[in-house]
Amino acid sequence: MNDTPKNEMNFDRWRYLVLFILIIMIFGFYLLRLFDIQILQGEDYVAQANDNRTRIIREPAVRGTIYDRNGYILAENVASYNVVVIPGYLPEDEGNTQAIFRELSTLIDLPVTRGDTDPETVRNFTPCYNDLGISEIVFIAGTNWPFDATALKCNVSQEVAMVVMENREEWPGIDVEISPVRHYPTGDLTSEIIGFLGPIPAALEDYYVDLGFVANRDKVGYAGVEQSLNDLLAGKNGTQTVEVNVAGETIRNLKEPEEPIPGEDVYLTIDTRLQTIAREALISEMEFWNNYSGKVISNNGVVIAMNPKTGEILALVSYPNFENNRMEQIIPGYYYEQLSNDPQRPLFNHAVSAEHPPGSVYKMATALGVLNEGVVTPEYEIEDPGVITVIERYYENDPGQPREFVCWDRNGHGSVNYKEAIAFSCNVYWHKVAGGYQNEVTGGGLGIWHMSEYAQALGYGSLTGIELPGEENGLIPNPTWKRTTLGENWSTGDTYTAAIGQGYVLSTPLQVLNSISTIANGGKLMDVTIIDKVVSKDGTILQQLSPSYRWDITKDPVIHMYDGNVPTGEVKTVEPWVIELANQGMRMVVTEGTAADYLLPRHAELFRNDSSQSAGKTGTAEYCDDVAQSQGLCVRGAWPSHAWYVGYAPWDDAEIAVVAFVYNGSEGATLSAPVVRRVIDAYFELKAIDAAETP
Amino acid sequence: MRNLRVYWRNFDFWLFGAALILSIIGIALVRSSIAGNIELVDHPQRQTTFLLISVGVFFVIAAIDYRYWTTLIQPMYLVTLGLLLFVLTAEARFGAVRWLEVGQLLVQPAEFATIVIILSLSYFFSKRTRSAQKLTSFLQSGLIVAGLALWIFLQPKLSTTIVLLIIWAAFLWITGIKIRVILIAVGVVVIVLLIGAGSGFAFLEDYQRDRITNFLFPDPDARYGETYNVDQALITIGTGGWFGQGYNQSSQVQLRFLKVRHTDYIFSVLAAEFGFIGTLVVIALFVLVIIRCFRISQKAPDKFGSLIAYGFGVLIFFQTIVNIGVNLNVLPVTGLTLPFVSYGGSSLLAMMLGIGIVESVAMRIPTQVK
Repeated sequence: MNDTPKNEMNFDRWRYLVLFILIIMIFGFYLLRLFDIQILQGEDYVAQANDNRTRIIREPAVRGTIYDRNGYILAENVASYNVVVIPGYLPEDEGNTQAIFRELSTLIDLPVTRGDTDPETVRNFTPCYNDLGISEIVFIAGTNWPFDATALKCNVSQEVAMVVMENREEWPGIDVEISPVRHYPTGDLTSEIIGFLGPIPAALEDYYVDLGFVANRDKVGYAGVEQSLNDLLAGKNGTQTVEVNVAGETIRNLKEPEEPIPGEDVYLTIDTRLQTIAREALISEMEFWNNYSGKVISNNGVVIAMNPKTGEILALVSYPNFENNRMEQIIPGYYYEQLSNDPQRPLFNHAVSAEHPPGSVYKMATALGVLNEGVVTPEYEIEDPGVITVIERYYENDPGQPREFVCWDRNGHGSVNYKEAIAFSCNVYWHKVAGGYQNEVTGGGLGIWHMSEYAQALGYGSLTGIELPGEENGLIPNPTWKRTTLGENWSTGDTYTAAIGQGYVLSTPLQVLNSISTIANGGKLMDVTIIDKVVSKDGTILQQLSPSYRWDITKDPVIHMYDGNVPTGEVKTVEPWVIELANQGMRMVVTEGTAADYLLPRHAELFRNDSSQSAGKTGTAEYCDDVAQSQGLCVRGAWPSHAWYVGYAPWDDAEIAVVAFVYNGSEGATLSAPVVRRVIDAYFELKAIDAAETP
Repeated sequence: MRNLRVYWRNFDFWLFGAALILSIIGIALVRSSIAGNIELVDHPQRQTTFLLISVGVFFVIAAIDYRYWTTLIQPMYLVTLGLLLFVLTAEARFGAVRWLEVGQLLVQPAEFATIVIILSLSYFFSKRTRSAQKLTSFLQSGLIVAGLALWIFLQPKLSTTIVLLIIWAAFLWITGIKIRVILIAVGVVVIVLLIGAGSGFAFLEDYQRDRITNFLFPDPDARYGETYNVDQALITIGTGGWFGQGYNQSSQVQLRFLKVRHTDYIFSVLAAEFGFIGTLVVIALFVLVIIRCFRISQKAPDKFGSLIAYGFGVLIFFQTIVNIGVNLNVLPVTGLTLPFVSYGGSSLLAMMLGIGIVESVAMRIPTQVK
């Protein structure tokens, strides 16, 4: 409209200017912000975007099978069928979906719906462990992970699984997932050896996740060889790096997928048949004595059998233990609590983890020392009056207090020589030779330092190296230890008590067995093992047992010499004849000593037969632990005691050595020796059977 | 219409060109936003249809002298009011529906309410000199806005209500509201907020506070939560870098991690696939559109035309900065779309219609002979 004059009443220019400034400021600020997000922080956001679209799928590796030495399965994987739903693949049509749910509902016995869910239930949703209906589970899964399989019903029968698989075409979105579950055919017979599986513990999550494990899915060993050999058994999960969309649908592979590497099969040195007999012998003996004495003497014991020549463990019983098949899917809370609160500690492997005073068995360490150091000659006779009194001194020139030491037989054994002292387990003899006694044993006897050297040479105080978790190393006391730990000087009486495996001395049943095995084996301290061989899935033998030993005390100078409390730097070996005499002494235990005469017909029968030509050493170890203290049993001079017995056969060329330990079992000879004897006899019977089978 | 050919000499190609390019970019981005979502497959085609219709409407509107609208303002206001009331009652009858179905097209009356308000206010203020200084014109103009805004507010569509209020405020500003009055108004608001904040809004119950928060910043797609959407938008923008990941190449978009990407978050799609340079170009186009509107406003032959151009300039400016601000996570989520670019037929048609009226004003600026 050219004829219209320009409007003279136009609006203020400055008011426009303010708007132009606003435009520049706001868009300028936006460009700065864009520059910051896209250019400066770009890498972070690219990383986040890659995180969004990348998913690493870990295909589970098959866990290795565990066999015993004869190929008998101790732990295996069995298939567990879970009916799963992938909500993203369910039919579009709501009616069809409901029809599938209805049919499925009757098949797997899970209601279509159990009513509305509250947010709490949704948040705590755990597949397999919930009380929701099909619709609720599908709703939760469809909202959160529509393209992931979510279990509707776990551990269904194979028949149900087959029906679901046949209906795959008609039931899109419903499938069967086969997941391996660990099964232990031998159950509580071997649970202390095998252990069980559990979820990856939170504390070790980073470690396992770095190795490719998936937390909350993959399981790791919690006890036994399942734990100690987890690295061998577990294998390695496969890895698939895929691109996914927001619904979790896989688009493509981003990297070449890696196949899972199955775990290796492990053959243990355990002979399940011997294990069965050992466990049975222990339980029946305890039950017999509990019935015989009309009160519960003990419900806690250990039996271990090994081959002294090779260090192979043939049987290892820690009683009571647990039923590991109850932990196959999850570790049930109530059961775990029950096990944890049991005063007998069933989850604790008493065979390798329990530390007890070894009692008279420990005299064999002293026995090697006194001959090898020439404290006495084998023929030298020492008087055992039943009771002796010595002056307890804590330092040189200490006037001291008189203290009585008694023999287990208060009548005394009269004059005893070396072998008789072993055979009759004569306390007074060992007190005197270990700590010195007046004019009978001069020069202070063997002395605590040398005694501990001989004990260590037999494996006391150090781990045997058995492939089981939680092994303890026991305690060999010496004056330095006592000063630093208890703040007190070593006294004469300490040496006396240590000589017979009392006082501060502690050892595990396995150490006790291994020490006697060493003598039975002519001085070779074998490396104890429970693994026979490791075989990969394709049959290649990756590792085969080859017996090895830590040292041969007759050849390797492992005994350090002391002058007072000071090591002289001199080292020595043990003379073979010393070991031979100790061996003969232990044979005498069986032929005429503490394990020779039995009054009860049940035992007389057992010991009359000497076909296996066994030798052994009894032990009756007084103790006063927390349990005994609380029951008021720690009466001075009449403490309760554990029963020990170690036996081996044949005595001059041992191929089987067995220890039995019964907590609070009173006397080694009566409670433990029969157990050992049964196992030794069974060993030879099994050997005969095997020999007959293999031409 | 005499001298129609003369008018076309004054046709503002910059304004129309920028708007058209933005619309075409929009269709391209909507196409990229499909990302395998079946529901979105026909959207680019529909948006193209809308654009063709809109461009046709644009030329018709531009050809019509804007001054003829003065006679139509009142009937248009009443029709819009009627439609809004219909929607509101329909909502009560059929549940929350903001859309009026017109044939196959979905038309939102609220989109056209903004146009009607701009025209109404322009007409109102063009009749009064120094109008904003008077309390009566302040109140009267307020009533014009409230007459439509109230029903939109009750729909509830807070974002459009805010747009209307901003347009009203912008008209008050340009028609000469005194700085003193603004300062007083700002002062009152600040004092009220300070008192509220000082007492920690203690006079409100917890649930009321939550409701207000939820009401002020409503959640159009609550499935993964508002935070999720905004976080994904930021990630999407961040992956763009200088030149972007390329058309149809952004993993965030194509794998659908970015939600409501064809409307609210289309700017993030642009940023991801065309990078900083792409956003720079688009922002420049918006600045061009807005500045051309304001320049036309300054040169307009009369007050009515000046205010129309000004009003549409403000509308485009406000919607653009709010939408981009939400994408950049500097403003709370509102649901306002990006003019011309976001998917939405009514929105595109309304914008093109508005630009058409502005163009009509531009074409009637008397040519100055230098």
